[in-house]
Amino acid sequence: MFGLHPVAFWIAAGIAAGLAITPLIFLILDKVGKLKPALRSDLWTRYKSWLVLAPLMVGPLLAGRLAAIIGVGVLSLACYREFARATGMFRFRAISAVVALGILLLTFAAADQWYGFFVALSSLTISVLVIIALFADQPKGYIQRVALGIFAFSLFGVCLGHYGYFANDKDGAGQAFLLAILLCVELNDVFAYCTGKMFGRRKLAPQTSPNKTIGGALGALILTSALFATLVHAIVHGSALDQPVHLIAMGMLLSLTGQWGDLVMSSIKRDLGVKDLGVTIPGHGGLLDRFDSLIFVGPAMFHYVNYFLGLGLDQPVRGITGH
Amino acid sequence: MDDWQYKPAGDHGLKREESLKSLRREAGLIGTITQTAWRLAVRGYLRGYHRLKVEGMEHVPAKPSFVMVANHTSHLDALTLAAALPWPLRRFAFPIAAGDVFFETPAVALFSAMMLNALPMWRKSCGPHAMQQLRDRLLSEPTIYVLFPEGTRSRDGSLGRFKPGLGMIVAASEVPVVPCYLHGAHAACPANRKMPLPLPLHLRIGAPLTFGSVKNERAGWQEIAGQLEAAVSALRDAGKWEV
Repeated sequence: MFGLHPVAFWIAAGIAAGLAITPLIFLILDKVGKLKPALRSDLWTRYKSWLVLAPLMVGPLLAGRLAAIIGVGVLSLACYREFARATGMFRFRAISAVVALGILLLTFAAADQWYGFFVALSSLTISVLVIIALFADQPKGYIQRVALGIFAFSLFGVCLGHYGYFANDKDGAGQAFLLAILLCVELNDVFAYCTGKMFGRRKLAPQTSPNKTIGGALGALILTSALFATLVHAIVHGSALDQPVHLIAMGMLLSLTGQWGDLVMSSIKRDLGVKDLGVTIPGHGGLLDRFDSLIFVGPAMFHYVNYFLGLGLDQPVRGITGH
Repeated sequence: MDDWQYKPAGDHGLKREESLKSLRREAGLIGTITQTAWRLAVRGYLRGYHRLKVEGMEHVPAKPSFVMVANHTSHLDALTLAAALPWPLRRFAFPIAAGDVFFETPAVALFSAMMLNALPMWRKSCGPHAMQQLRDRLLSEPTIYVLFPEGTRSRDGSLGRFKPGLGMIVAASEVPVVPCYLHGAHAACPANRKMPLPLPLHLRIGAPLTFGSVKNERAGWQEIAGQLEAAVSALRDAGKWEV
């Protein structure tokens, strides 16, 4: 439909419809008197941010392979920038420049469909980071500087970069997968919030994130797994992955890695002693406060699909550097 | 073994617009690239178009922090003083610029922050708080301020009275203050001109002064302003100007 994978089309349509209906739900809740003024204004701020964010996230995915890859590259760089400024590692310019360069090269490797280079960049960039930090000739704080660089590159470069490579999957299935992942990861947060409010009693990790409950985590696990399994079933219909055990496993994997990503960023914020990692998105905080859940889902889904179904990674493509 | 130390950017947690105006702003990767490109262009421009001549380079301290002060007749002044600094010191230099000119609109503020690396001084409402912030930064991290104690560009090219505010930044500290006199900028680009004329510039840098024994209070600030005004004025009369 419109040159899109049918499932991609329906997910995009669903997101648009959801954003259109949300104000009505707010209005109804407000009329019934369920919303306190503070909560109402918070919800509206978040909703308005989503009105901008959703097209920014979905647009590049629908626009095609290259737009999606570039979009992921920009997101990686922006996330890295926030992390670097919050930790102070941006002051180590050489390390910072190597991380940024590594992210640019990952983006190029994805655009070129050169999987060998995409994989090689992990070890190569890490080696360069460790080595380039030598040239300042300041052993004091060496481990911290290098470790922060490697940590940032692994999370925001390599892990997030998998979304870019995913967009290469032929026949639009990658596109549909990406939209399904994006939708389910964001809803995973919403489900955890709502079921936590309703059933949550025992704290999940009070030191790390005091508002999260075990009830919320389990509620999200069940709801998100069911939703994602349904969407994947529609995408991989009739293939080797279209079996209940795979569908449920993928659903649970998505929900768990999504929630862990959230907790990872909470740990980072607690350790740094900052409330938000940035101020990019009104109502949400920084980009990382919004996209933290995505970090580990990408690689997990990418390699699951590749292992059981294959993403054509063993085929040399190299659209730019080949021939 | 030491604990890990995280020190967020000085302007962390500020909205984009506020962060541009923050006295604690720190340039990241993009800012470093734009500022370096800008400095290269300004250096080329000053050498080519204005045949800039600098004397007294040996007086520039080898390491930050320090303060450069000079007479003020033109927008070329801050560009020239920042460009005259040795290349390794370039990224520590912050011209202190009038907030009501250089940080008034978002586009101009973006230029001032990303290209000039300027910090705003709000002339109408610059309280002791802003001065204290500037002082803290100067004393706690490698910083070079380029500032003009007359507070505004001299309209006739003569040297005006130095305001005591500068004293609040350096009194009772060992931070060197380097007096400079720039000749030719008033002829090349006075306050009422938009486009500079291709006239030569000549910068003379004097021996640094420190004010460690001067008390950080009103009388001390006046004394510092007076001493620096005398030092800059002495540089003006210290030799022939090659114009």
